[in-house]
Amino acid sequence: MGELLELEGLRRTYGSLVALDDLSFTVPSGQVVGFLGPNGAGKTTTMRAIFGLTDLDAGVVRWNGTPVGRAQWKRFGYMPEERGLYPGMLVGDQVEYLGRLHGMSPNDAASATHKWLEQLNIADRAMSKVEALSHGNQQRVQLAAALVHEPDLLVLDEPLAGLDPTGIDAIGRVLVDQARAGCCVLISSHQLDLVEDLCEQVVIIDHGRLIVTGSVDDLASHGARRLVVRVEGDRTAVWAEAIPGVSVSEVSAGEARLVLDDDVDSDVVLRAAMAAGRVTQFTFERRRLSEVFREAVQ
Amino acid sequence: MKFTYIVIVIALALVLRVFVSQRRRRDRQAASAEHDGTPAAPVVVAAARRSGFTTGAHLGSVGLVARREVLERVRGRIFRVGTIIILLVVGAAILIPKIHSNSTSPPQQVAVVGAPNPALTQVVKYSGKQSQTPVRVVSEPNVAAAESALRSGALDVAIVNGDKIIVNQPIAANSSSDTASLVQVLAPELGVLHAYQQAGLSVPQIEHVAQARAVPVQSLQTNKVRGVTKGTSVIGVVLIFLMLTQYNTWILMGVMQEKASRVVEVLLAAVRPAQLLGGKVLGIGLVAMGQALLIVGFAFAVSKAVGSDLLHGTGPVLLLSDLVWLLLGYSFYCWLYAAAGSTAERQDQVQTLALPLSIPILIAYVYSITVASSGNPGLLFKVLAYLPPTAPFAMPVLVGLSLVAWWQFLISIALSVAGTAVMAWFATGIYRRAVLRSGQRVSLRDLRGRPRQRPPTPAADLV
Repeated sequence: MGELLELEGLRRTYGSLVALDDLSFTVPSGQVVGFLGPNGAGKTTTMRAIFGLTDLDAGVVRWNGTPVGRAQWKRFGYMPEERGLYPGMLVGDQVEYLGRLHGMSPNDAASATHKWLEQLNIADRAMSKVEALSHGNQQRVQLAAALVHEPDLLVLDEPLAGLDPTGIDAIGRVLVDQARAGCCVLISSHQLDLVEDLCEQVVIIDHGRLIVTGSVDDLASHGARRLVVRVEGDRTAVWAEAIPGVSVSEVSAGEARLVLDDDVDSDVVLRAAMAAGRVTQFTFERRRLSEVFREAVQ
Repeated sequence: MKFTYIVIVIALALVLRVFVSQRRRRDRQAASAEHDGTPAAPVVVAAARRSGFTTGAHLGSVGLVARREVLERVRGRIFRVGTIIILLVVGAAILIPKIHSNSTSPPQQVAVVGAPNPALTQVVKYSGKQSQTPVRVVSEPNVAAAESALRSGALDVAIVNGDKIIVNQPIAANSSSDTASLVQVLAPELGVLHAYQQAGLSVPQIEHVAQARAVPVQSLQTNKVRGVTKGTSVIGVVLIFLMLTQYNTWILMGVMQEKASRVVEVLLAAVRPAQLLGGKVLGIGLVAMGQALLIVGFAFAVSKAVGSDLLHGTGPVLLLSDLVWLLLGYSFYCWLYAAAGSTAERQDQVQTLALPLSIPILIAYVYSITVASSGNPGLLFKVLAYLPPTAPFAMPVLVGLSLVAWWQFLISIALSVAGTAVMAWFATGIYRRAVLRSGQRVSLRDLRGRPRQRPPTPAADLV
């Protein structure tokens, strides 16, 4: 049986502001869980609550059924949104130091540091100061610091922000590998396309409340049918707006994304498109995560 | 012989420097070897040697945090340059007075014009002794020869007929030259001698009267405060002030920077706030005491090498007392500065905080310097020597003045330790509440009350 992080009934207020409002969800092992929400939704507060870094008015965080405490936190890995590293400390020393603080032996910490720096392609910067590294490499160091003690749970706040495609691939690969190895992985991100690629499951919150949770596949296949239609020379998709039961979700680079009500026949749409011009694309599409997100928080 | 010690001290410093450089070079080579694909086991050893985080597993989280503080501080250029500057200042403070006291000016050439006069010679020698000016009495056959010798610089002073003094340059009233010092004593003495002769005293009678000396004055209390001890006392207070200010600033800045860089969030996910704060305080404290011991050891070595009076009398006891009170002063104030640092996350906020915190230190410092110089402590000063915020400055001064018994010293230490315990408890509470609050500076009003719900969660935060 896999491991499980449970958040139950979390509530946190700051004066009149409700940051978390009876928030409950679970993070199972073996998959990367995306934690989504607009700015100020309470994502960071939730992540801090997992580590006891914020006081809760109500609720409990459990790990495998037991309320989390110092012993569990030692086995968790955390990457805060505003990166937490000593700017003037050497990269290798820093990662090793954090490994030691999580209870690793000196030799284990040293070898794990070497291993993760190699894996994240920054071994050649082990003797550099953190402040001398690029943003992307600092991000890799931060991830190495979160991974060095081989945690059971990884909580990463915006781990992909500001990375180039190579960095995203490298970090994304590591996260998926960790999940496959049995780790619980919870990441927050505003890059929804990347989340869709990485995560099997998402949790969407807004105003501290749970809005939607489920597997990416379920959420994407759920709801109205979606069509992507490209009509040569057309940039407005006015032709589609005239069809009853069809709404234009988005027009981008000549592609019109249409949402069809259940009773709309797709042949009707095709004929209308052909009447507007030469049709070069006509495909059904799953809901994208960004659309799920927008619908959820609107 | 005395300079042998100096050479040894310098040689040891050079050897240490070369050793550190070579070790760094080896470590860099080891790190390069890692990247070149050297097998895993040596890499681990190299990485272990490089970081210094491989020992002290028994110390726990506090020890690890302290170890990091020590390594990072000692590696810092500011610390190394600062230590060298302090050592140079201490060395100069010991050497310059010694060199000054050892410098022997040539004796004043005092000519007696005319026939030799034993009484006159005796008065000249007595005046030289009184003015702490070495003198040599010569005779000149006549006034013209004496004036010629004065103009050429062969003579400094000429006495004509026992009732007139001739010098080459006019002597200003505030002059401190050897000639002026001698003449200021010699002129009235010669006047007295001349008066004796006018009164018709015989030469033996004049000699007898000239040998008259003031009777000794005996006090019931022994005067133990010598100039040297006073100087040592002042130097000790200045060093305590400088080092306390430096290390407290380290604590303040260190805590603020950990908060500002958000590294504190990562650390507090692994260790308790009290462990993190305790480790920081311990680490910087170890660096402080190491630096202080180095300075005191250096002061002893240089003093012994040059034969300074620093090692005489109560000097060594006073230096040891300074060390004890530096430790106690740091222990008391570090918590206060740590708590203050946890409420700020910007440089300007830290500067605003540092000023009010330094006021008791500044008051105690200035008051202690004044008392150490005057040697006259009042009742208020004696009371301050027992209060934890001011005792680190006041008590060493009282030790220097030999005005405290050992049990009074111990009582002051006990009060300081108790005050430190209260301060540590108070500061840890503030740190726990404030260090994770981001955004605006945390005010004391924000920190009132107990943390809400579910300890061991350490603090509240903002979204």
